[in-house]
Amino acid sequence: MTTLENREALRSIRSSFEARLRDSKKKLISLCAGSGCGAYGTAKVYDTLMEQLAEHNLENEVEVKLSGCHGFCEKGPIMVIHPEGIFYPQLKEKHIPDIVENTIKNGDLVKKLIFKDPATKKKITYEKDVPFYKLQQRVIFGNNGIIDPTRIEDYFSVGGYAALEKALFDMSPKEIIDEVKKSGLRGRGGGGFPAGRKWETCAKHHGDRYVICNADEGDPGAYMDRSLLEGNPHSVLEGMIVGAIAVGSNEGYVYVRHEYPLAVTNFSQALESARKYGLLGKNILGTGFDFDIHISRGGGAFVCGESTALMASLEGKPGRPRAKYIHTVEKGFRNNPSMLNNVETWANVPVIINKGSEWYASIGTEGSKGTKIFSLVGKVMNTGLVEVPMGTTLRTIIFDIGGGILKKKKFKAVQTGGPSGGCIPEEFLDLGVDFDELTKVGSMMGSGGMIVMDQDTCMVDVARYFIEFLQDESCGQCNPCREGLKQMLDVLTRICHGHGREGDLELLEELSDMVANASLCGLGTSAPNPVMSNIRYFREEYETHIRDKKCPAGVCKPLFFYEIDQELCTGCTLCAKRCPEEIISGEQKAPHQLEQDKCIKCGICYEACMFDAVVVK
Amino acid sequence: MPKLIIDNQEIDVQPGTKVIDAAEQLGIMIPRFCYHPALGSVGACRVCAVKFLQGPFKGVQMSCMIDAKDGMVVSTTDEEAVDFRKYVIEWLMLHHPHDCPVCDEGGHCLLQDMTVAGGHGLRRYQGKKRTHHDQHLGPLVQHEMNRCIQCYRCSRFYQKFSGYRDLGVLQIGERVYFGRYQAGTLESPFSGNLIDICPTGVYTDKPSRFIGRRWDYERTPSLCINCSLGCHTVVSTRYREIVRQEARFSEAVNGHFICDRGRYGFFYASQEKRPRYAQINGNEVSWEKSIQTARDQLNRISQESGPGAVASVGSVRSSLETQAALSRLCQKKGWQGPVYWIDHGQEMNVKTAAAELADELAVSLRDVEQADYILAVGADPVNEAPMLVLALRQAQRMGAKVCFLDPRPIGLPFSFQHISVAPQAMDLILAHLLKETIDQDTIKGLEPHEKKIFDAIPNNSHLVSSNQKLLNAVANDIRLSQRLVIVCGTDVVSETIPERAAYFARLLAKMGKQVGLFYLLPGANAFGAALLSDDAPTFGRILDEIEAGLVRALVLVENDPYGYYPDRPRLERVLQQLDLLLVMDYLDVRTIQDADVFLPTLTLYEAGGFFVNQEGRIQKASIAYQGGHPISQFSNGNHPPRSFRNQIPGKEAQPAWQALIELANENSATPKQGVRADILAWLVKTHPLFSKLPPDNAFPSDGIRINPGKDIHFRSAADRLVVPTLASESADQMELITVDWTFGTEELSTRSPHLRKMESKPCVFMHSNDAAQLDISEGDKVAVRSDTGIVSIHVTITDNMAPGVLIIPRHQRLDWQHLGASKITVSKDQIRKIREEEPC
Repeated sequence: MTTLENREALRSIRSSFEARLRDSKKKLISLCAGSGCGAYGTAKVYDTLMEQLAEHNLENEVEVKLSGCHGFCEKGPIMVIHPEGIFYPQLKEKHIPDIVENTIKNGDLVKKLIFKDPATKKKITYEKDVPFYKLQQRVIFGNNGIIDPTRIEDYFSVGGYAALEKALFDMSPKEIIDEVKKSGLRGRGGGGFPAGRKWETCAKHHGDRYVICNADEGDPGAYMDRSLLEGNPHSVLEGMIVGAIAVGSNEGYVYVRHEYPLAVTNFSQALESARKYGLLGKNILGTGFDFDIHISRGGGAFVCGESTALMASLEGKPGRPRAKYIHTVEKGFRNNPSMLNNVETWANVPVIINKGSEWYASIGTEGSKGTKIFSLVGKVMNTGLVEVPMGTTLRTIIFDIGGGILKKKKFKAVQTGGPSGGCIPEEFLDLGVDFDELTKVGSMMGSGGMIVMDQDTCMVDVARYFIEFLQDESCGQCNPCREGLKQMLDVLTRICHGHGREGDLELLEELSDMVANASLCGLGTSAPNPVMSNIRYFREEYETHIRDKKCPAGVCKPLFFYEIDQELCTGCTLCAKRCPEEIISGEQKAPHQLEQDKCIKCGICYEACMFDAVVVK
Repeated sequence: MPKLIIDNQEIDVQPGTKVIDAAEQLGIMIPRFCYHPALGSVGACRVCAVKFLQGPFKGVQMSCMIDAKDGMVVSTTDEEAVDFRKYVIEWLMLHHPHDCPVCDEGGHCLLQDMTVAGGHGLRRYQGKKRTHHDQHLGPLVQHEMNRCIQCYRCSRFYQKFSGYRDLGVLQIGERVYFGRYQAGTLESPFSGNLIDICPTGVYTDKPSRFIGRRWDYERTPSLCINCSLGCHTVVSTRYREIVRQEARFSEAVNGHFICDRGRYGFFYASQEKRPRYAQINGNEVSWEKSIQTARDQLNRISQESGPGAVASVGSVRSSLETQAALSRLCQKKGWQGPVYWIDHGQEMNVKTAAAELADELAVSLRDVEQADYILAVGADPVNEAPMLVLALRQAQRMGAKVCFLDPRPIGLPFSFQHISVAPQAMDLILAHLLKETIDQDTIKGLEPHEKKIFDAIPNNSHLVSSNQKLLNAVANDIRLSQRLVIVCGTDVVSETIPERAAYFARLLAKMGKQVGLFYLLPGANAFGAALLSDDAPTFGRILDEIEAGLVRALVLVENDPYGYYPDRPRLERVLQQLDLLLVMDYLDVRTIQDADVFLPTLTLYEAGGFFVNQEGRIQKASIAYQGGHPISQFSNGNHPPRSFRNQIPGKEAQPAWQALIELANENSATPKQGVRADILAWLVKTHPLFSKLPPDNAFPSDGIRINPGKDIHFRSAADRLVVPTLASESADQMELITVDWTFGTEELSTRSPHLRKMESKPCVFMHSNDAAQLDISEGDKVAVRSDTGIVSIHVTITDNMAPGVLIIPRHQRLDWQHLGASKITVSKDQIRKIREEEPC
């Protein structure tokens, strides 16, 4: 590895690796080593695979890559065999000999391992045909499956650092900013602020400008930034360098949460190799431009995702936000102009520079351009990371890509935007998802969390859960967020416990309004969102809780009980066998009975019954 | 100048003024908890909400966060804003305990006021209140965390403003806790300010706990005389006793805060041992009889041996009135004196400082905050003038660099440079810095006598070369600075330093820099003493003359030589030889035992008076109460006794100046009323600088500054500056200096039972190199032998001080007065390690 001293050196090394990838005659096995697949056991699968290849003397004929996240985390560990693109999901060690024997050696498919679409029950051989992938447009995420994130050479082989080259040699800082402005890129961290405008303002202010990457992804259930940092760190890095060129910064920071060790490892590795190639550090590519990046690990406080709190934390102070009468682009980190963008925003930058703002702006809707990665989780068939153009409908994402609701239950709501987002009911399923549309229906884009809820979800309980999270994560500085959220939690808890009072709903609305208006930072002002949108769309459910002391979804334990429908019960005894309290009795093939006073409402019988005979009352 | 309208009233304010302050200027007090002018705004409490009707901001906004701008129209009474504030107060009161009846803050509690004013009366919340464990924070501050409304003032003051780290905010969300990581005495010597700034009763004044309500107290503007800065205070008096002292805002001196030594240093006034009755030979007699006896005796000695046989010693802690009365008495009678300093070196330093402090160089304590570079020479702020630390800290927070040239282990709550060299070498280093800093043009333009001083600075020495890198950096910083302040002490420094500092300041000013000179003086009224003292006699010479039989009577006015004179056996011996020792004091000083005649005097709380602080600012303390025995000492702390009498018990004492005037008069028929007016009239005549004094009732709160300027010249010492003294180079010799400590050395504050608990044990500081050479470890006890005696003391080893120096605090619990002088040179064999049980 030698330092690239000029443009030509970068070009030649890139084209040599591009050629190597293009001309490779070898089979390429890409095995997902992202966090999801890793948790399912990629490491063991990999070891077995290497053993088997050695046994068959195939080590030199096959290239194996531990890649970043492929997105379809529900089905991990995932293996894709190139060039054909054969897709093997949910692998175990025991499957490997078959694959090596048949697919690798003989070019045959292992039928039993082939992906079966749960919706259509059809077998699908190739990755590109899997509906989960088919309907996506993977602009940012696409390379994750092809490259080994620890190898900068892999990034070169997919055209890496071409944007840096273009920005450094062919464009003036102003042109870069204009390009980003024209692309219509909006901040992917939650606020949706036009990135180009942010860059422009930052460049205008004097001082030691800093470029900062917000990798403090704190929303429960969201992990797209993590997967990007883990799976394609160089794309983020390249974006940051381009940003630094645009605003004239010599120092950058990546603020990443402590819970993301793999992201830290991979990104550190990326920094290391970029430095070795001279793409970071002093005199980048012989242009005299200096820029380097440090990694700063956050302690995992949710509020540190807020820009001013993040910068306070970066300075070594407690992560508490300040009021933004003066924006961080003017006075941020160390009181200097600071350009903070989220991981995904940075990853968009090389794409915009490479393909041009016009191309980029052709994707998406009027007000929101490009693609967005969503973290699709909850009661949906295909959970994982989904990258779609802005404006894709919720229905497409949840039902076509996500495969619909688990166990054929009924869709109830989807919560977008993280804990401070809102719950969107069924009537808005055809809403094209973008920044503005989500805000209109009382939710928000946030960083792209999408939690799907089915009929068994209690909306009061959901609101309680999010408010509990938020009041726990409140920094405790301003009074409305600290005290108001606690009050809201008290009221919600009381309702869930069956002690709801007449007037509680109005009190909740009053508190929500006050917390949203009076809080100091974004955490507080957006915190009442789940409650407000919830009350807006599911008011009746609240009223049932308060007035009738009933939880129709069967979640709030004091507010419901299970009963075995004597008509529907076939006496299969499954529920009786599973009941941990052994309080269900009855003869085989005769309706069973449940002892109400001993029931702990664990729901196991409800889940077990195949005849819907266990009912919530 | 932004012009805005608040509640239909128009006002022009300085750019950068917050709306909340603009309103205050109009007399509209917008509620606030977290906002404090000294601590700035954070927007935590949300109670200062007002409605912005026109201008760049709209709707309900926090008035503490927004700068006043042209065209703003603001309403503080808009219904929406009023409702908003009411809601916020309801939140703040959710968990606040209803313990106002037993809370010391009750009666002057901001939260109490705002709750009532905001109209919050009914608690809707019915849940359990949040509770916390309280911490023991030491003898001064009481902690009651349950009352906290999370305004963050304490943590912001303690950490951000002051720079100390041991108290702050822990945890997040509703679990936030303001306190220390572990219970323990607060490390900051400014901890008492937590009590003043806490808007409710989380931090309350421990010594005055449960003594009374604010409305029970008589509150009087006063001054702190525990060091030379002259901070402004308010004293609270009840039942003939000062029970509490708080900071009083002063634009020029202390800002919003005071130090703990000042805050709790007032207990001497109500000390049980305080002498309250006149005495002759140790027997209580009437005031009149004492005066008569003293007058007769003094007159007799004067007649017998000439007026020169009577000498007088005044005090740097006396009011200007007393000092002036003493001068007048001496002049009238032809007595020797007054002498103010026991140590002649210190006297020279103070007088030089007072003479050099020209009007254009003098800066106030608040001005120091504006500096971009501060060079402190022979000053140890925490120990000598604590509030200077906060001023330095503010400058440092704004980006100023701070450099100390001092042998002592300087401890400050922020980073600074420290050139630690022995006291004798300081002038050399200072001269070197001067030489490195001043540019050629300035040197060329110097007057011949100034040029002569410059040329006499030696070129180099091993001391310079061993500190070369640091000195170069400091010289460079000084050259780059624009607004520079030179802080100069007068205690441990050699006699050339105060003048050298002024010379340096003048030269830097010639280079076009904005330069300030800030001396630290020993004693609250040392400046006044320097103006009024007689130059001829010294204390040492008076002792010699007593021994020689030339001086037969000594008048000690509020000065206790036993506390300062470094050779106690000699002092005891000499005082015995006097025919008359007349002592006047309000403290239970040791000299009372030797006194033939004793007259009890009044403290500044009882007599009021003028004091001139170290920047030459004359300030006035009002009379807080009439004196007399505190009722608490009369009735075992119970309710006032039910016996009645005409006179206040223990109210014999008079202001010292009163006694001096009575002594000056030929008979005792002088009416006591009206003599204060006489003394003021006299004061104006004593020194031309006092002619500017405004009348008593029109005296400005921040006082008036009198600096001698060019016209007044004490003595020409410029010649002394020609050759800087060089330290003796013997490796075997060590310089021993005695120093001040924040707690434990100062005469008044050591009489506070609460501050005694804050004192560290006396110890001698030694550099680790010296300790290694002498085979001494931390905590060892050593005996230091001088020509006049032995002082045995424990050793503290540090690297943060000059090698070759021993530093001993003049601790009240240490008999350091056997050293023979306040600065001595000892050889290493005079320092011997001793075992604990071994007698010294």
